[in-house]
Amino acid sequence: MGVVFEGDATGAWNEMFSAPGQPRPIYERLLADLNAYQPQELRLRSDQLSRTLIERGVTFAHSGEERPFPLDLVPRILGALEWDRLSRGIAQRVQALEAFLADVYGPGKIFDEGLMPRAVITSSPHFCRAAFGITPPNGVRIAVAGIDLIRDEHGNFCVLEDNVRIPSGVSYVIENRRAMTQAFSALFSDHRVHPVDSYPSRLFSALLAAAPRKAVDPVIVVLSPGVHNAAYFEHVLLARMMGVELVEGRDLVCRSNHVYMRTTNGERAVHVIYRRVDDDWLDPLQFRPDTVIGVAGLVNAARAGNVVLSNGIGNGVADDKLVYTYVPEFIRFYLGEKPLLDNVETYRLEDAEARAEVLGSLAKYVIKPVDGSGGRGIVIGHHATKTELRSLHKAIVASPRSYIAQRPVALSTHPTFVGDAISPRHIDLRPFAVNDGEDVWVLPGGLTRVALGEGELIVNSSRGGGSKDTWVLNDESIPFRGAVPPASHRSRRYPPPPRQNEEYVAQKGEQ
Amino acid sequence: MSESLGLSIRHHTGFTYDGVAKASYNEARMTPRSLGIQQVQSSKIAVRPVIPLSTHVDYFGSIVTAFDIQETHPKLEVESISQVDSWAATLETPLGWNDLRSERLTDRFSEFLLPTDRTALVGAVMDDIDAWQKLADVHECVEAASNFVRGEVFYVPGATTVSATAQEAWDRRKGVCQDITHVTIGLLRAMGIPARYVSGYLYPATEPLVDDVVEGQSHAWVEYFSGSWTGIDPTNGVRETERHIIVGHGRDYDDVPPLKGIYQGPESTQLGVVVEIRRTH
Repeated sequence: MGVVFEGDATGAWNEMFSAPGQPRPIYERLLADLNAYQPQELRLRSDQLSRTLIERGVTFAHSGEERPFPLDLVPRILGALEWDRLSRGIAQRVQALEAFLADVYGPGKIFDEGLMPRAVITSSPHFCRAAFGITPPNGVRIAVAGIDLIRDEHGNFCVLEDNVRIPSGVSYVIENRRAMTQAFSALFSDHRVHPVDSYPSRLFSALLAAAPRKAVDPVIVVLSPGVHNAAYFEHVLLARMMGVELVEGRDLVCRSNHVYMRTTNGERAVHVIYRRVDDDWLDPLQFRPDTVIGVAGLVNAARAGNVVLSNGIGNGVADDKLVYTYVPEFIRFYLGEKPLLDNVETYRLEDAEARAEVLGSLAKYVIKPVDGSGGRGIVIGHHATKTELRSLHKAIVASPRSYIAQRPVALSTHPTFVGDAISPRHIDLRPFAVNDGEDVWVLPGGLTRVALGEGELIVNSSRGGGSKDTWVLNDESIPFRGAVPPASHRSRRYPPPPRQNEEYVAQKGEQ
Repeated sequence: MSESLGLSIRHHTGFTYDGVAKASYNEARMTPRSLGIQQVQSSKIAVRPVIPLSTHVDYFGSIVTAFDIQETHPKLEVESISQVDSWAATLETPLGWNDLRSERLTDRFSEFLLPTDRTALVGAVMDDIDAWQKLADVHECVEAASNFVRGEVFYVPGATTVSATAQEAWDRRKGVCQDITHVTIGLLRAMGIPARYVSGYLYPATEPLVDDVVEGQSHAWVEYFSGSWTGIDPTNGVRETERHIIVGHGRDYDDVPPLKGIYQGPESTQLGVVVEIRRTH
C-alpha cells in the first residue's frame, strides 16, 4: 500500500511527511510497515477494528442513535522529546487554571491587580456563586483536564480550548489502544510505545488524594447521568477499571451534609464523587430543581467538607472561551513562568477596536460561542453563507461577550485510511491530565480526533469525526514525567444498590 | 452615633402538606447580619420537625441555615428570633457621575449593574431615565426613580406571585415590595448606578413604644452605590431608616429568599408568614 505525501492547499502541516518522499524520522518504521500491507488486508484490519469496538460497546450517541466511534488504522506518532515539551506545557496550564479557580472562588487577587476585569467572571454563565466557601482538602478542583491542542501551519502546537468541567474521551484512548494491539500486534513489536492503561489507577490515586482528611478509608464512586448519556460507556469503563461503584443520582442520598450510597446491605458513606453530571443537573436545591439525575443537598455536603466533588463545581468559569484568552496571563501571574504552549490568536469582541475589525471582515475569522462545547455554534467565516454571516453579525453586536473570534488555523493533516486509500485528513489532539495535588500527570498521547470529510476542519465526534491511536515513542534518553504509576488503593466492592427515585417539588416562596 | 433602636424580631414561616412530605432540603436566610448600622445581639433559628442545622455564609454575605428532613412530616415550621440594635444611617455626599461611571467602579460592581432575569426592563418604563440622569446629585436621581416607581406600581398584596419579574409587575402596575424593589433596581442599573436587593424586616411604627409587640413584615428594598452603599425603600417612599433591619443582599430576590427548598411529596400550602417585632429600648 503506497502511503505518499499529499500537499494541502491550505498550507497545513503534514504530520508524517516533511516533503514528498521524505517521511519524518519517527514515522519511517511505521511507513515501511504499512506499505507492506495490501489494500485488501488493510480493509480487513480496519473492519476488525470496528468490530472490536462495537463488540466492546465503544459507541457515542450521534443524532439520537448509538454509533461506533470510527478508529482509523493509521496511528499518530509523537516523539519523546516533543511529548516531554507538550506534557510540561499541559501540566503548567492545568496548574495555572487551578490557581485561577482558587482565586476566583477566593480572594480575587487577579482582579485587584487589574490583570483581568471582574466583569469577565460575573458575566460568565458558569460562574457559580454556590461554589463559594467550598474548599477542596488538597486544593484540587481540576482532577481531570482535557486540553485541546492543534498543530499550526508551522508545526507549533497551540491550545485551542481548555476543558476542566467533565472532559470525556479517555475511554477511547484506552479502547483504541486495546483494539490496535489486537489488530496490528506487529506494529507494536516494531515500536516502543508508552502504554496508556495506567490512566484508571492514576485517576483513582488522584481521587483518593482528594478525599476529606477525616475520611479514614475513603469510599469513591463514579456518578453518571445514566445509560442515555453519550459518555455512559466511559463511566462504566472507568468505574470498573478503578474498582469503584458506578452510581446514579437515585443511588445516593444526603443526610445532615453527609452523602450515603444505598446498597442492599444498607447505606454506606461516600467521600469522593467523580461526577460526570453537569453542574446544572447536580443538585436540585442549588441548580435546576427539575433534575432527576442529581442528588439533593450535595453542594452543602461538599461545603461542610464531608464529601469532595471531582471535578469541582463552578469550574466552567475557567474554560469559558473569553477566559481562555487570559490563560497566558494566568501562567505569568500565578506561576511566575513563561507559557510553554501558546494560545491560538484570539480576539475579545467586547473590545470595540477588535470588534470593528472582526465585524468588518467576518469571513476572515472563526467565530465561537464562549460557552459552546463539542463544536456547537462554531462558524468558519469563509465557509459560511451570506445569510449565516449576517445573522452572526447581528448576534455579535447584540452580545459581544458571548463570542470570540480566532484566526483560522489550518489544522495539521495526517494520512488516514478513508474508503480504500490513505489520504490526508485534519486532526487535533486532546491530552488528558490528572492532578493529584502533588503533581499533574499527563496521559502519554491522548485522543487524536480526525475529521473524516475531505478538507473538514471540525473534528468532534458529534460532527462525525473519528479518532486515531496516539503513540508517544519511548526514548530512554529522555526522562519521562512520572513514569512509575503509584500503587493504587482499591475500595471495597458493594452489591448493586436498589433503585428508587422520585421528583422533587419546590417549596413555595415567601413574598 | 445617634441613639440606637433595640428590636426583638420573631419571624415564623412554613408549610403544611396535603398528606406528608419527605426528603425535604432547605436553606433559610432569616438571620439579620451585623453591619455598620445594625448590631445583632443574639439570633437563633428553630425548625420543626427538630433536626440538626448547619450554618454558612454565602457569596453575598448572607447567613444561611441549611437543613434536611428525611422522616415523613405533615408540616414544616421555621422560626427565627433575633435581637438587633439599629441606627439611622447618615446620607453621605455622593460621588459625581464621572467617578461613578469610572472603569474601576463599573468593573468592581459589575454584577450589580448587569440586569438579571428578574430585574430586566424594556419599553416605556425607561422613558424618563434620561431626564433623571441630568440631575447632578445621584441621591436625587435615585429618589426621582424611586418616587416614579412608587407612583406607578401600586402596592397590592397578592397581585403577583413570588416568581414575578420586574417587567411583569410593571406591565400590571401592581405588586408587592419585592416587585417594586425589582423595578427600581432595573431602572437604577439602566442608568449605570450599582443597585442591589435587600431582604429584611420593617418595624412599622414611627413612634414605637418600648415593649409593645407590633406586627411587622418581611420586607425588601434597594441599596445603591454612591460612594458607599445607601438604602432607599421605594415601596414606602423613604430612605433606609433604623426601622429597616437587614438580613441579606443579592442581585435580586433569588439570591436571598427567606426560605427556599425542595421536597418529595404532595402539594403544600404556605402557613402564612408571621413577623412580630417588639421594641426593647
